[in-house]
Formats: sequence, structure tokens, C-alpha cells
Amino acid sequence: MRIVVLSSSVYSETGCAMAVRMAESGHVPVGALALSTVNRSTLLRKLGQWGVREVASYARAKLIPRQGDAQPQLRNPYLRPLLKRGEGVFRSLREVAAFYDFPVAVCSDQNAPDSIARLRGWSPDLIIFTGGNILWKRLLDIPRLGVLNVHLGLLPEIRGMSSPEWSLLKNIPAGVTLHYMDEGIDTGPILHRCEFPGVARCESLNDLRNRLIAFGVEKVAEVVDALDRGALSATPQPNIDEDNQFFVMHEWLQARASGQLTKRRQAAVAGTANG
Amino acid sequence: MTSSPGLMIYGKSGARTGQISQALTEAAALLLAPQRVVPLIQKLVSDKLRVTFEQRHLYSYTTTKRASGATLSSLLHWILGAQRPNGGIAAYYSLLTGYAASYPEVTGYIVPTLYNFARAAKDKNALTAAERATRWLLSLQMPSGAFPAGLHGGEAQASVFNTGQILQGLVRAFEQTNRLEIREAAVAAGDWLIKMQQSNGSWSGPGAYQDAPHTYYSMVAWALAELSQSTADHRYSLAAERNLDWVLSHFRPSGWIDGINLRGHPNYLHFIAYVLQGVLESAILRRRCDAVKAVETSAWVLLRKFETNKYLPGAYGPDFKSTQCFTCLTGNAQMSCVWLRLFEVTGDVRYLNAALKMNEMLKQLIPARGGQGIAGGVSGSYPVWGRYQPLRYISWGCKFFADALLLEERLTRSFEPSASEALPCAS
Repeated sequence: MRIVVLSSSVYSETGCAMAVRMAESGHVPVGALALSTVNRSTLLRKLGQWGVREVASYARAKLIPRQGDAQPQLRNPYLRPLLKRGEGVFRSLREVAAFYDFPVAVCSDQNAPDSIARLRGWSPDLIIFTGGNILWKRLLDIPRLGVLNVHLGLLPEIRGMSSPEWSLLKNIPAGVTLHYMDEGIDTGPILHRCEFPGVARCESLNDLRNRLIAFGVEKVAEVVDALDRGALSATPQPNIDEDNQFFVMHEWLQARASGQLTKRRQAAVAGTANG
Repeated sequence: MTSSPGLMIYGKSGARTGQISQALTEAAALLLAPQRVVPLIQKLVSDKLRVTFEQRHLYSYTTTKRASGATLSSLLHWILGAQRPNGGIAAYYSLLTGYAASYPEVTGYIVPTLYNFARAAKDKNALTAAERATRWLLSLQMPSGAFPAGLHGGEAQASVFNTGQILQGLVRAFEQTNRLEIREAAVAAGDWLIKMQQSNGSWSGPGAYQDAPHTYYSMVAWALAELSQSTADHRYSLAAERNLDWVLSHFRPSGWIDGINLRGHPNYLHFIAYVLQGVLESAILRRRCDAVKAVETSAWVLLRKFETNKYLPGAYGPDFKSTQCFTCLTGNAQMSCVWLRLFEVTGDVRYLNAALKMNEMLKQLIPARGGQGIAGGVSGSYPVWGRYQPLRYISWGCKFFADALLLEERLTRSFEPSASEALPCAS
């Protein structure tokens, strides 16, 4: 199967891990398209999401690796098994591409005509989206099968942003949904929907999010195998007219979601103690 | 001709020429008070810098940068500072002309805000201010039971909208004090409103602004529904529901509301939010689920716009189309109130989430420093030269933002994740 990986940056750990996982399962990508690192909207989003200090620390780790830094920090430690390379880790898609021998292109907009032309040139069967722009129809129509997205929540119940947090707050199981993207926000046909069994082990919302990402990468590998065998087809989402879109959660509510996570952890501990 | 917040400043004409003439008069006033030049320039420069460099993104306003309690105190400090010796609250503080005269309509609906703040913060100054404001309002009532239009000192023409807003204050003042003369004044006002109501439930003709019916008079229906509850007199609730039915017939499936009907003025968010607040509060009091649903449709359209762009334009055309590049802070604060009340009624936490962010945005636009009339004030528009109440800090902006913060405080205190819905209307 001809697979292309879309990434929000060449330094995206999720983008790198996805490319590695595909290569390891025998589906070396035919190309990867990443947004340029100094992309205004990505930078603004990350500043809002992580804060200035975290962004600076991340940039330093990626751009100026320390000599002899055998175990460099990853933002998502659960991706380390995939990103590990000898004594170090893959730091960018370029390193992954050099190792597995596939091309990487950088663009300022994944929907731009030159990006579209490049993607068409790769003739993908499947595009795996790990981050970037809101995709336009002309891009969504390129791959034979579709553009696959890993949504960090169960669809159709929780669409949009801050899905793990909203799942906790609304007492809906945490999980991932693999679906083809369409022009709506998380409204495309579902390939696979899976509850995440490890919520009670999560120490924080960030920990939950990181574990869900790693869980999602593994599920993509399973789904790609099934698609390759022709053993899986997508199902349109039920209740498509219901507006289940959620938006970025305010920190006051995040603290309440975090409290719910603590309760689940405590309940799990109590359950274990009671046998 | 009656007036309405945001319109009365341009007097009777309400037209472009009136606006220009008013602007020239106000600009000339600056020559008589040169001490206002520096604050004016400071505000213009600071808004220009903010507009130029502000970068909104998906995560904007998701973190608390200014405590709600401190902002609430500064808003109330502004309102108390705007209370004139007669007990009325000034309509606005202009960066050009200073404080305006007392404004009966706004003084009326500020009374419940003052009582709510007094209760929440155990603040005796707010209580005293509410009592002074009520005494002044009682002195303005006309023999018919109506209250006058416009600023204090103008022509005393009876106004439906102003009577309704003052009625809100009287009902609350009576509940707080149990004083008979306040109840009598409220009943007289309610009786006059019933007398002036058209058979279709609207108010038009004498007493209505521009003699025309307006859907934002749902705010009057809200006051009548409150009076009905306070007096146990069913006539007022029937009148409220008649108006509610008439307003609901103007809701489009898209959520847009026709019939705001202000000739010579755009559909400012302030008036759209008035319709929604009036319908929602009447619906809650009268337990009208159909009206709650109608408000939800409109409020959700505006919520999506705010969540996507982190900004609500200050004025709209039909179906919420807008190209305006200013925001109406009062309308934003009112939408925060609507979302908070919808959260309370439906249990949908997304409304609370949006309101928390909206309040965060508004807090960042309240001047923490400045002289009397500026510190703690809510400007008509952001940027301050925007079309709605340019270069002014307006008392009703402070009132609605204080209401939003008081609601936020009450609802977050009792918040339970995944709690069941509060009213049978909940979807």
C-alpha cells in the first residue's frame, strides 16, 4: 500500500513515530509532507498549548542536541520504543526518512497548489494525518482510500478539541477513533473505534493524552494491515446531525477533568486492593 | 419617541447627521477640559497597539490571567463612582466630555446587579447605592405609571422599554426591602405596560422607540414575568407570554432573529443579546421549553463563531453575517450571561466553557488603572473607536459584565462534573 504521512512539523514526534511504525510493519511511506517549522499558525498554536517555556525547551532539544545526550527527552515518552535508534532517538522526519529511504517535503500550507501537486505525484492509496492544516476537499480527494485521522476520543460522542478532557468531564470512556477525514470536523466515516483500557494508570491529563497518542499509532498499524488485506471498510457516523463538537477547554474545567482522572485512578487502586 | 441604551446618545434623529453633530459637540468639549487629552491618547494608543499585535488562536483565553473577583470589584467601583448625587447612575463616562447625566433605564436594571453584588461580597456600599437608586427612580414615575425616556433632564415622554427595565429594579428592590410604595410603583408600571401592549403581544406606537415594534422588547416581557412571580398576579405573566410568542415568531431556523427593527442603526450584538436574554429569562420563569430551544439555536451559532475566531463582531446582518471589525463589549458580556444561564438550564458544559473564555477576554480589556470613570470601566467598543458607543465607558456594559462574573462565581461554586440537568427543559 502506498502511504503518505502528513505532519505538523518535521520535528513532530507523532509524525516520526507514525512513519517508523508504518515502515516497521512493512508499509514504508512513499513520502511525508510536513509544515515548515517556523510556521506562524503552528507556532501560535503550540505557544497557546504548551506555553513559552515548554516551546523553548522543545526547540532547544530538537535543534541543538547536546553532545553525548544518550537519552534525549521526548515530550511523549510512550513513543520512545518507536523512536529509539541505537543509543539515541530519531529527532526529525528527515532522520526517519534517511533511515527508511523515503522523501520528505516541507511546505507552508498542506492545501497549497505545490503541496497538492507533490501529493498527487506520490499517488498514495492512503494519507495518514498526524497534524497540520484543516484539509480542503481537493487534498482529501487525492488518495485512493482516503485521509486517515486518529481522533483522541470516541466518535461520534466527542468531536473537536480537548477530546480526552471532555471525555473525562462528561463521563464518556476515553479512547481513540480512526476515521477517514471529510470536510467537517471529525465527521468522516469510522474505520475503528477503541476504548483505551489504561486510563486508571494515567498520572495527569498530559499523561493520558501521550498514552492515547501512542495507543492510536498502534491502532493505525492494525487498521492499515486490515485495509491492505481488504478486510476493513468504513462506516458512516451515526447521529451526524447532532452537534457534538467540542472546543478547547478552559483551564478551570481542565482542573475538574483532572479531578475526574484522579477519581478513576483511586477507584482502580481501591478495586485492586479489594481483589 | 423613546430611547434605548446605545441609541439615546444620538438624540431623536438617530441618523448619520445626528451622529456627526453629536461627535463634533463632544470633540469641542475636549477644548474645555484639556486634562482629558492624555487619557484619551493613552486609550487610543493602547487599543491601536493591542489590535496590531494581538494574535488570537485556538488556545486564546483558556488560562486565567486576571482574577474574576478583583475584576468584579473594580466594575462595581466604577458603577458606584458613576452614581450621581441624585442617586441615578450616569449613562457613561466619555473620554471627551466626562460623565453624562443620570440614566433612568440603566439605573433601573443596575439595581438587581447591586443587590447581587452586595449579597455575594457582603458589601454595604452596594446596598446603599441600590437603595439610593431606587429612591431616585420612584421620584421619576409619571402619573400613568410609566417612566420617562432618555437621560434625566430631557423631555419626559413615557417609554415602554425604559419602564420595563426600571420595573426589573423595582421588583428586586421590593423583594429586598418589602416596602409597600415600591410594590405599588412596580404594579403601576406593570399595569401601564399591559395597557400599552398590542393585541399581537408586541409594543408599538406611542411609547415604543421609533413607534415601531421591536423583538428586543422581550426584556420587557422578562420584567413582567418577574412582576407576576413577585405579586402572584397572573395578568402580568399572560402579557409576558403574549410578547414571548410574538418574539418567537421572529426566530428563523438559522437562529437569526428578525424584528430588531432599528431604523438608522445596525443590528448591534447588544440588541441581539437583549432578545436572547429577554426570551431566555422569560422562558425560565414561565417554564417554556420551546423558547429555551429557540434561544439555544441562536446562542449556539454565536458560540461557534466565538470559539472558532475568539471574537464576536459588533454588528450583524441577517443570518449573522458580518464584516464588522469592532466588537461590542456589552453584547459580549450579555452573551456570556446567556451561555451561563443555558449551562444552568441544559447542563451543557460547552456553554460554561465559552462563557469562561468570554469573561477572560473581557477581563483583559478592562482598564486596571486610570482616573475616575476609566479604571474598571467597560468601553462601548473594542477598539474604543468602534462604531458602538465610541470613546465611552458605559454603565450598562459594567452592569452586564458584573452580572456575567456574578453568574460565573455562582455556577462554578456549585459545579459538579457530569451533573444531571437542572430543569425539565434540558435536552
